[in-house]
Amino acid sequence: MKNFFITLGVAVAACALAFGVFFVLNDDPALRRAARENDAMAWLRVEFRLSDAQYAAIKKLHDDYGAVCGEHCAAIMEARERKAPAAEVERLEKVCVDAMTGHFKRVAALMPAEQGDRYLATVLPRVSGYAHTGAPNLRANP
Amino acid sequence: MTDPQPPDSLSRTLHAWRVTPARNPQFRAEVSARIAAAGAVDSWSGYLRGHAVTVTAALMLAVLLGAVGGRNQARSLAAADSARLASAYVESLDARAMKMP
Repeated sequence: MKNFFITLGVAVAACALAFGVFFVLNDDPALRRAARENDAMAWLRVEFRLSDAQYAAIKKLHDDYGAVCGEHCAAIMEARERKAPAAEVERLEKVCVDAMTGHFKRVAALMPAEQGDRYLATVLPRVSGYAHTGAPNLRANP
Repeated sequence: MTDPQPPDSLSRTLHAWRVTPARNPQFRAEVSARIAAAGAVDSWSGYLRGHAVTVTAALMLAVLLGAVGGRNQARSLAAADSARLASAYVESLDARAMKMP
């Protein structure tokens, strides 16, 4: 019986070792770091394998879009605060969605075609599936 | 009292009798194996030799399960992180999600 338990222990150790090795082999430390630091731009860079030049161009695009987004944000907030008619708020939100969608398409155009398609497939459903869940808390601009 | 003398024919037969057992070429190896098995009943190495097929299969299964589990766990965590960051990324650019300070 003792030998059985020794063998069982060795098998469990081998299982744990294989788990660890394959976990490390399939892990993406850069993605984990981005997640740990809640850094959406780092995620973008890692997830879509952006080169330095591509990342810089996209970062600039994001920075530029920040001003546009800020205007939309202010308009929507102002309309909500003064309890504007729902139609007006919806119109402002549609303007926001259209601008955001256009921005995402411009970002995708700066990526390699395959990554750009994957990027759009990742972000666009999240734009349409938006459900007023709260403010963003990441370090992405704006 | 003296022993009776065997008959001549029996004496001759016994005198001529030669035992020639069939040679077993595995005899030494079999004896060695039996000695080793008897001495190794309680050792782990002996246990492994006695259950070589079962132990090998169990180890291979354990390694396979560990490998698949490790790979799936890493991919699952990466997918969850990626999905969470993607949602947060979109929200960070979504004026509808922003609140006034």
